[in-house]
Amino acid sequence: MILFDFQYERARSLAEAATLLASLGPDARVMAGGTDLLPNMRTEIARPAALVGLGGITAAEPQVDAEDNIRIDALTRLAAIADSPLIRKRQPMLAEAARAVASNQIRQMGTLGGNLCQDTRCLYLNQQHDFQFVAPCYKRAGSCCYPFPQNKPDVCWSVYMSDIAPALIALEAEISIVGESGMRRLPLEQLYSGNGLKPFTLGKNEVIEAVIVPATPARSGYGYHKSSRRGGLEFATSVIAVALRLDDALMRCTQARIVIGAVREQPIRAEAAEKALVGHEVGAAAYDAAAAAVHEIKPLPHHGFTKSFIVDNLRVYLRRVLAHAVERARASGMVA
Amino acid sequence: MADRSRELSGKSQVISIEVNGELHEVTVRPRHTLVEVLREKIGLTGTKDGCEQGVCGACTILLEGRPALSCLTLAIECDGKKVRTVEGLANGEKVTAIQQAFLDQGAVQCGFCTPGMLMSATALLEKNPKPSLPEIKKALEGNLCRCTGYNAIVAAVRQASGQGVDPVMQ
Repeated sequence: MILFDFQYERARSLAEAATLLASLGPDARVMAGGTDLLPNMRTEIARPAALVGLGGITAAEPQVDAEDNIRIDALTRLAAIADSPLIRKRQPMLAEAARAVASNQIRQMGTLGGNLCQDTRCLYLNQQHDFQFVAPCYKRAGSCCYPFPQNKPDVCWSVYMSDIAPALIALEAEISIVGESGMRRLPLEQLYSGNGLKPFTLGKNEVIEAVIVPATPARSGYGYHKSSRRGGLEFATSVIAVALRLDDALMRCTQARIVIGAVREQPIRAEAAEKALVGHEVGAAAYDAAAAAVHEIKPLPHHGFTKSFIVDNLRVYLRRVLAHAVERARASGMVA
Repeated sequence: MADRSRELSGKSQVISIEVNGELHEVTVRPRHTLVEVLREKIGLTGTKDGCEQGVCGACTILLEGRPALSCLTLAIECDGKKVRTVEGLANGEKVTAIQQAFLDQGAVQCGFCTPGMLMSATALLEKNPKPSLPEIKKALEGNLCRCTGYNAIVAAVRQASGQGVDPVMQ
């Protein structure tokens, strides 16, 4: 399928990218690795008049800043994150999540910022463009949501699929954003609007510059699981990312962040499951209580899976992921 | 829906790409992908244009030494960069160890996936000369073989890395 014509501008820095975006107008888009945007352009889900290419900018190596946070350049390739000795040692969940993304080639091309800003997906929306042109859906400025005809024009139930965002939200990561008027920091959780029509809260001419992951305190453990139809190269059925902390005796859970990805328009905090865990002694009963609480997540029936299948999948894997997280927290507590 | 009738402004530009050690100057529009330019403008048809969605891996090339999908790479972004394609592996009649291993193990069926497989395997072996079985599988996961000749392909990578073919694989 031949791509449509568009204008291309190469940015030499992110600040220049923001300026270029402003001068090119509202139909311009940023392209980092292009592994999400280009397939969408081929199916004409995205039809930008201009692209601002970030391929010419070299990403800085991940490094530890003065406050002991890890600072990762948004243009760092996913393969570099998966292989980075620093990230594997200090934030292994992030390395694991980066390794779970698609294929080796896509991890070598795709960037962290690009992964966080990937578009939402839906079985109807992501069809070949010939079908879409017969009847575009709301996200393509059409007049009906074909998979969910009861939906109103401001509701789009396309699903946000990033494998990495849930892990970063569980780790309380922040993003640094560069725009025409300078820089701002934002907790990653707040990047997502929860509306499939416009999934991100980024301003018009803003670009993510870096991701800042705070240091993990002692007696912390993590658990991560991506379910998908096949092992590799597949969008997730669900993603579970857990970061928790135990008390001095390594018995009671004092803090937990449970984030579920790939089930709704944005990564979801499983707050009822967190409540079922925090303050309780960890063990089979606590895992069961937390796993039972995933009923609060109302998954969208996407990719051909039913809601009940996704809830069952979450319940089974959350239990295992929590057990792993507690094991790791105990192991780290003993070393400390 | 986006306005399909608006004036499009994809101006042509001359770029220089080093392909297999040879410098090429080609005129491209922004919409041209690297695989189109390699096949249609430079005439290197070894790289295959498969799914055009970044799924099958048939178009894998090495861009600055890293495996990349040439169907998802805009040629205009490769200005001044180095590309290696499957044609750059053999030196005349002399094939590389991985190419010989593909021949020995019968790791070629219809052959459509072979150029991409060879490039992914080359990148792996250059970075990690003695990969383990899981490492081989992880490196090749982005290359689909519709003839499902995976066992022979993995055996070929093992042979090329001098590890001997795993008896389980035969």
